[in-house]
Amino acid sequence: MLDTIATVTGNRPLTGGHLILSVLSPEQAQAARPGQFAMIRILGHSDVLLRRPMSIYDLRPGDNGDGEQAKPAELDFLYKVVGRGTAMMAALKPGDEVGLLAPLGHGFFAEDYLAEARAADEVLHVAGGIGIAALLLPARELAAAGVQQRLFFGGRTDADLVGVNEFQPYVAETLLATENGTLGHRGYVTGTLESYLKSQPGKRLLILACGPWGMLEATVALARRYGQRCLVSMENRMGCALGVCLGCSIRVRGEGHAAYERVCTEGPVFWSEHVVWGADQLPKT
Amino acid sequence: MKMANGKIQMANGSEHPTLRPELGEQQSAIDNRQSTISNPEPPIDVTIAGVHFQNPVLTASGTFGYGQEFAKVIDLNRLGGICVKGISADPMPGNPPPRIYETDAGMLNAIGLQNVGAKRFLEEKLPFLRTLKARCVVNVFGYSTEDYVRCIETLNAGDGIDAYELNISCPNTRCGGIVYGSDPKLTEEVVAASKRAARFPLFVKLSPNVTDITVFARAAHDGGADALTLVNTFVGMSIDIETRAPRISNVTAGLSGPAIKPLAVRLVHQAARAVRIPIIGIGGIASPEDAIEFLIAGACAIQVGTANFYAPETPIRVADGISDYCRRHRIRLDQLVGSLKLPGTDSAPAKEG
Repeated sequence: MLDTIATVTGNRPLTGGHLILSVLSPEQAQAARPGQFAMIRILGHSDVLLRRPMSIYDLRPGDNGDGEQAKPAELDFLYKVVGRGTAMMAALKPGDEVGLLAPLGHGFFAEDYLAEARAADEVLHVAGGIGIAALLLPARELAAAGVQQRLFFGGRTDADLVGVNEFQPYVAETLLATENGTLGHRGYVTGTLESYLKSQPGKRLLILACGPWGMLEATVALARRYGQRCLVSMENRMGCALGVCLGCSIRVRGEGHAAYERVCTEGPVFWSEHVVWGADQLPKT
Repeated sequence: MKMANGKIQMANGSEHPTLRPELGEQQSAIDNRQSTISNPEPPIDVTIAGVHFQNPVLTASGTFGYGQEFAKVIDLNRLGGICVKGISADPMPGNPPPRIYETDAGMLNAIGLQNVGAKRFLEEKLPFLRTLKARCVVNVFGYSTEDYVRCIETLNAGDGIDAYELNISCPNTRCGGIVYGSDPKLTEEVVAASKRAARFPLFVKLSPNVTDITVFARAAHDGGADALTLVNTFVGMSIDIETRAPRISNVTAGLSGPAIKPLAVRLVHQAARAVRIPIIGIGGIASPEDAIEFLIAGACAIQVGTANFYAPETPIRVADGISDYCRRHRIRLDQLVGSLKLPGTDSAPAKEG
């Protein structure tokens, strides 16, 4: 993990208020692994203090043209403008500088994860909205390992379904869902997921999920019902991402002092059965 | 006093031929261009209750973990001191999420004093801290006076602890001492009991959520506090208007960050006039200039808190900036502390315009 000032090389708008911010930082790009994230600080705004956690969406070679095998040099962040911090990010232009603390967290790279993925008949990626940003790098890595994959992707409207094309080299099929029916199945992504799980009895599947809390909860409930394992990439508000503010802690299976774990440090990727879902996440008095 | 054609002009119109250290307070306002060549870096070390800090910049409890978490991002040996996350006699799980929310130039938190407990702190965290040049200040809290004493008695075995900071001011738990921090009699009682138990000097961190800080500063002093830390967070609240629910599960939360700085400077100023013991100033410090305000108001050292989250280099930048300021103004740190020029006194600068 490094704390640097990095140069913006692009900030490309997509549909629905989404953008892809590209930042040049070879050392951080080469250290990054699937499922990790970065903290981005917009410099020069003293009223917006905290850095913003962003999944590392993609890693790309820079334009160095030195003839060597291209190593990653740029980090891409797929994000949606939802508040002041992301609105400031959207105003960044090539040549601007940002604070970049990366790579952070425990991504999709534990031994048991890869073993589980290889042992599975298929890996299912389940993304809700901007949650898609956490899944491209694992999809690429698993494709390289010869793992069969499917993508289930849901959003409110067609404008939320960004980045679908990037997955196509890695997945056998993509199943889309929108709440308003403007693209794919009308309804939630968990509806298409359930239909698929129902149609695959006896198959061993591994689910990788990222998205809003409600979607993750529903996905985990389906995984449990159909006896499949599930890894979730969690989002939370973060103060520091260094493991000290304890602001991003979530309730996990553990008692007393072990009842909470930090999304920034022990996560952001957790086995779903380790996380406490539903009302148990709320205070017990 | 103004600069004219490169000469120093005193307020009475006379020219001052040379700069002499014995000029004392007037010296502090002399323009920087006159001050520096061959002027060595002035020492900014400070001794508080017998504990020597290489510079007056500490990291605040709850914003710096147990130090080691920042080893990859800054040089910990450049810090004056590290106040570790509040420690209780027994481990604490903390509050349910959501625990933090960003506000304008600040943030709310209600973490709930999640910590590893005194025993594990000694075994797992202190060995690293003891290797550093930065002084180790252990923040202590409890539910009851007995808890505070029990925690301190356990920590007393710790080789490498330089001082305790008694937290009687966390607004986010029923423990954390806010009961003590909002009643002067209880403040004096818990400070006195802790002081009797403590093998190391005792700093007492006060709550700003009181009507008159001087009452609590005196109570802590009377209980035997060796120094005061001012201030903990201000109780605040934020509401999500779409769901009409509080943004933080605890409902109320502690506000920190640059938003509280003027409030904290005022409290340090008032407390510094009420008690003689050293004061460590804290509240929204994000730059050397912020820190110097606290020093002028009467703090002999400062703590950087929330800024550690988004700019971990801040404490080192603040220490360098204080050193640079002292050099430019040809003033020693101890001369700067409490050097506030109040209107109506001889040393007040002339009004402009």
